[in-house]
Amino acid sequence: MRIVTMDPDSCVACRNCEYACAFKQAQTFERRDSNIRVNFYPEERVCIPGTCVHCEEPWCLEVCPAAAIRRSPDTGAVEIDPERCAGCKMCLLACPFGAIRFDARARVARKCDLCGGDPRCVKFCISGALQYVETEEAFGFRRASFDAHLMQMFGKGDQP
Amino acid sequence: MSQTRQVFQTLCRMCDDHCAINVYMEEGRVVDIDGYAEHPWNRGRLCSKGRAAVDLVYHPDRLWKPLKRTPSGWQEIPLEQALDEIAGKLASIRDAHGARSIGVWKGEAVGFAQQEDLARRFAHAIGSPNYFSNDSMCFNGRWIGYSTVHGAWSVPDYENTRLVLMWGANPPHAHPNMTQMIMRARRRGGKLIVLDPRLSAVARQADLHAPIRPGTDGALAWGLIRALLERGAYDRELVANHSVGFPQMQAYAERFTPEYVEGETGVPASLVGEIAAALAKAAPAVVNYVGNGLEHHENGINNIRAVAYLDTLLGALDRKGGNRLAEGFLTNRLTLYQERPLTELEPIGAERFPVLYGMRQECHTMTALEAILSGRPYPLKAMVLTAANPAMTNPNSEKVRRAFGALELFVVRDLFLTETAQLAHYVLPAASFLERSELHAHAMFQVVTLTRKLLSFPGVQDEYQFWHDLAHRLGAGAYFPWKNEEELTRWLLEPSGLTLEQLAAHPEGYPYRPVRYEKWREKPLRTPSGKVEFTSQYLKDLGYPELAEYKPPSYLSSPDPEYPFVLVTGARKLLFYHSRFQNIERFARAGRNPEMEMHPADAARLALSDGDRVRVSSRVGTIELPVTVTAPNEIPPRTVQITHGYRQANVNLLTPDDVFDPISGFPLMKALPVKVERLGTEVTPRSTMP
Amino acid sequence: MHAVIIGNSAASLSAAEAFRRHDRASELTLVAAEPGPAYSRVLLPYYLRGSIARDRLFVRDRAFYDGLGAHVRFGHAVTRVNDRAWTLTLADGSELAWDRLLVASGARPVLPRVRDLPGTGVHTLWTLEDADRLAPELLPGRRAVFIGSGFVSLQAAWAACLRGLRVTVMEALPRVLPKVLDERASALLEQRMREHGVDVRCAVGIERIERPAGQAGIGAPAAAGAREASALRVVLSCEDPNVDADLVVVGAGVRPDLSFLEGTAVRVEAGGIPVDERMRTSVPGVFAAGDAALGPSVFGEAHTAHALWPTAVEQGRVAGANMAGHDLAYPGSLNMNVAEMFGLTVASMGRFLESGDPAEEAVVEQDPRGGRYLKLLFRGGVPLGGVVLGSPEDLAVLAALRPRIRARREGRLASGQPFRSLHLTLAVQRSRR
Repeated sequence: MRIVTMDPDSCVACRNCEYACAFKQAQTFERRDSNIRVNFYPEERVCIPGTCVHCEEPWCLEVCPAAAIRRSPDTGAVEIDPERCAGCKMCLLACPFGAIRFDARARVARKCDLCGGDPRCVKFCISGALQYVETEEAFGFRRASFDAHLMQMFGKGDQP
Repeated sequence: MSQTRQVFQTLCRMCDDHCAINVYMEEGRVVDIDGYAEHPWNRGRLCSKGRAAVDLVYHPDRLWKPLKRTPSGWQEIPLEQALDEIAGKLASIRDAHGARSIGVWKGEAVGFAQQEDLARRFAHAIGSPNYFSNDSMCFNGRWIGYSTVHGAWSVPDYENTRLVLMWGANPPHAHPNMTQMIMRARRRGGKLIVLDPRLSAVARQADLHAPIRPGTDGALAWGLIRALLERGAYDRELVANHSVGFPQMQAYAERFTPEYVEGETGVPASLVGEIAAALAKAAPAVVNYVGNGLEHHENGINNIRAVAYLDTLLGALDRKGGNRLAEGFLTNRLTLYQERPLTELEPIGAERFPVLYGMRQECHTMTALEAILSGRPYPLKAMVLTAANPAMTNPNSEKVRRAFGALELFVVRDLFLTETAQLAHYVLPAASFLERSELHAHAMFQVVTLTRKLLSFPGVQDEYQFWHDLAHRLGAGAYFPWKNEEELTRWLLEPSGLTLEQLAAHPEGYPYRPVRYEKWREKPLRTPSGKVEFTSQYLKDLGYPELAEYKPPSYLSSPDPEYPFVLVTGARKLLFYHSRFQNIERFARAGRNPEMEMHPADAARLALSDGDRVRVSSRVGTIELPVTVTAPNEIPPRTVQITHGYRQANVNLLTPDDVFDPISGFPLMKALPVKVERLGTEVTPRSTMP
Repeated sequence: MHAVIIGNSAASLSAAEAFRRHDRASELTLVAAEPGPAYSRVLLPYYLRGSIARDRLFVRDRAFYDGLGAHVRFGHAVTRVNDRAWTLTLADGSELAWDRLLVASGARPVLPRVRDLPGTGVHTLWTLEDADRLAPELLPGRRAVFIGSGFVSLQAAWAACLRGLRVTVMEALPRVLPKVLDERASALLEQRMREHGVDVRCAVGIERIERPAGQAGIGAPAAAGAREASALRVVLSCEDPNVDADLVVVGAGVRPDLSFLEGTAVRVEAGGIPVDERMRTSVPGVFAAGDAALGPSVFGEAHTAHALWPTAVEQGRVAGANMAGHDLAYPGSLNMNVAEMFGLTVASMGRFLESGDPAEEAVVEQDPRGGRYLKLLFRGGVPLGGVVLGSPEDLAVLAALRPRIRARREGRLASGQPFRSLHLTLAVQRSRR
């Protein structure tokens, strides 16, 4: 299956992804309506996009006492069924990435569902920090990047 | 996709990036927009503004009918009547004061290709040399700076570069699409060095962010030149065979020791050497990119020229991974500068800023506003303005309003009743980019794309239709023979051998010429000498220094104790483009709008908390707005920043329109002495981080 | 071989799934005293509140057990286990042979030693049957007394508030939710409860329950829908005024009933069955998980009771895998609780009470006006736990702590320093919003 991968080395915290997701969920640009969040630490100059990685053994799915979380047979996305969710927030407490949020108006937990297979956040990520890739290749850009650094170290970088 | 949903490709024009988009339509209505994956320019990515075009075209405040100013307020009148009246008044003004008393002003929103040329054409067609545009304060600074050095403003070759040196530019907010190119370069091992007083969005990923005092970039550039020359790390072939003025440059560079540079710019002396070493190591694959941040200064042109010198020294001029001299897409020429130059009619600003006019045929807007008010050098009585909002974006807004208010006839074309439109006698509804079909060339990849007219509203004219109708009423119809925009575009295409149909079949862009490098081997550069001109005879003849001499900005050389802060204006925001899109509600709520950025130490000294309101004053004017206390590394102490475009707190009430770069005539807008006072304690909340 | 699981709730369901993941061939049977379908105990307060309909309580259907190829005997209590013959006896006299046995029979509410407590008008809230009995009693205007201010009790009290009852909460200890919150959070919660009109009585002792003459009867339920349920009087010790009530709900803790293990070599303590990291009891082949078990905690305690759904699920997973011959070790349970009550998100995790150890450091963010309180406790820079009162957004901070608290036990996290500065910056950033 494909998941959204995040590269903190490319993210500039422009928040287009948050806007795109919030807009799809609620037609707003409010952070609280977005399933993806970018945290920016100015003094450390660190931008970290964070969204659900649709764990193979999801902590949230395991812990849900309402059996409201299941895996989509189409996209493989771990999805919360708002009809079954009772708003107990156990999943918020369970997810180690903080990828689940609480919709205080509808009183249910919400999370990324990969937009049914065409994630908006990726389409609106102007830096390319977000990619929608097969899990086997996820973060492969790190290998390529590391290779490039190695080649530079040995003076064999790109020759124009 | 629903049964009735169709998708079309075109280019977005919410900003100047021209990203390729999919436009989804149901029953003739645009319902969604996202990025078009096949176009090499943006590869399917798009920013939030692109999607918001859906909101823009159907915005409840959009103008659909011409408005005429009457004593009892705006009156809707039919289009034909509006055009008749406007033409009639223009004709009588022309009879009374001469055609040159009529000006044409084109803004950013319709771009810089055929729509710009149409405006230029119209001016000369009716006999006026007075074409004005937003480029009295944008783009031309770099165009002139670079062209006087090596004949054209280069395009960055991000896809092959090893180091990006960014001066006063912030792509994620200004040209979002460049961001992915820069990050791709970094992923390949390339480095990013950002020179900017602020920790801008792009600086967040810089391998090195060097905060530099506003207006002092020239000193750093010279310091780098000296460091490269000292190391002997420069392209001797380019210098020896393709340049003039090297010895003078070398001699002038001597005084820019690292210590001097540090004293002038605030960049530590050790960093100067480090940056130079990084440049030398990555040369010639160095992108050396200058943003608008360097244009709005008293010494803007020469600061830019000094940066441009580096391209040649690094050997990056028209080299792979460096700064390429793009080959343009050849079309028929719409402008009339050869057929009807009209220079004898004294284009406004041409004498004061001969380079601006001489190199770009650009009249000077600030001089025009002065002319409207003073009648000197001659009366300027009418202005036909399209796609611009200078009442918000030109310096000294109060004077801009007075000037427009003093016109005998002021005609404004726009989608909305902007601050400028509110001053007009006639406001005409204009077509958005989804209602126009035009050519656009992405110079970086040398592909040409034909945009697609997807919508059409009765009574809302595209640019061609408007100029055509007006010209025909003024006896200049011969210059506008094409029936419509499509015919015009066909004519434009003739020299290329391409047809509209061919281009329409290639929404991913049509490569019009293979990308080539090192063209200076085969043909001269487009400078008078045909070579890189470290010293410019052209400028010397006009009375300017031949070298890109450095002059410290006046807020440093003669500080005014009454105005102890230096104000930078115009830093970009992702969601707004100059004064546009403030009327998209979710945009306005997505951050603190407006705000003044201030260093925490300065805030503490003034007992300011984040969100408190302050009064900011220059010698020109005063505004009040909330302060945003940044992290200590986001803005230097004693420097504050306010973005333009907010009617609640218009920073151009503070900017002067009488301090210019002497060569380009660009106003000083990014290094202004101001004072800051604390107001009450009413706190403005931040909704999200910008 | 035949694996038998006693129970049909969190631990059992999790164990059944885990067992089948590793063993598709052996027979699997689930036996439970309650008739089924399996329901979520955690959701009972939401049902009482009226937030969800009763049918949303059920978390597994027939297809689930069929899909696992599991036999079921629901509505059949286990009366005896024979750990030498490897059989067990059900209430109807029938027998089941087993090769592996998982005791996941859960726990039952404990009634505190108060004279005449059991009887008409007194409810517990643990099972679906309890909830079905209590729900029609929650009528507007009635007076309800909740004995105990534990997690379940307060959620029930909140449900009663929402349904318009006049509520009194009595707690023996000096503050509410003493096992879930720290002092400050207890105080904030208590204040909020009072603002909702709840009469909060802390540090009280209850002497006896008085009923109007002729209404005593142990376990006799009030007639469904009866408008005139017998009035009760809760008589307090000391000088505190007594409280009259129409119903009393007891939430004073739970304890497993393991009488069916008498006569076996399975070691049983007062609080449950001690198990090791592999959920093994003292008898090979017999496992325990969930509320019936006393298992390891992340803080290194060997045998702890955490009567929590997530713990039960985790222990069940380990037990089920190990019953199938796998070898999973449970890293230890971490107490975590979250609920919404009195308009606040109330949550805690791990250890959050200062012990006076100088290496401990508490990081606190609060905004009393906004009803927000976040406290994290670190020792030597390593996170121990935290308390959240107010905003669901803060749960993410506790959640981020969760794996790190576990890591501490295994000694992986040498120093929490980098994490702590990250959190502090997070906190600063959030407060700037």
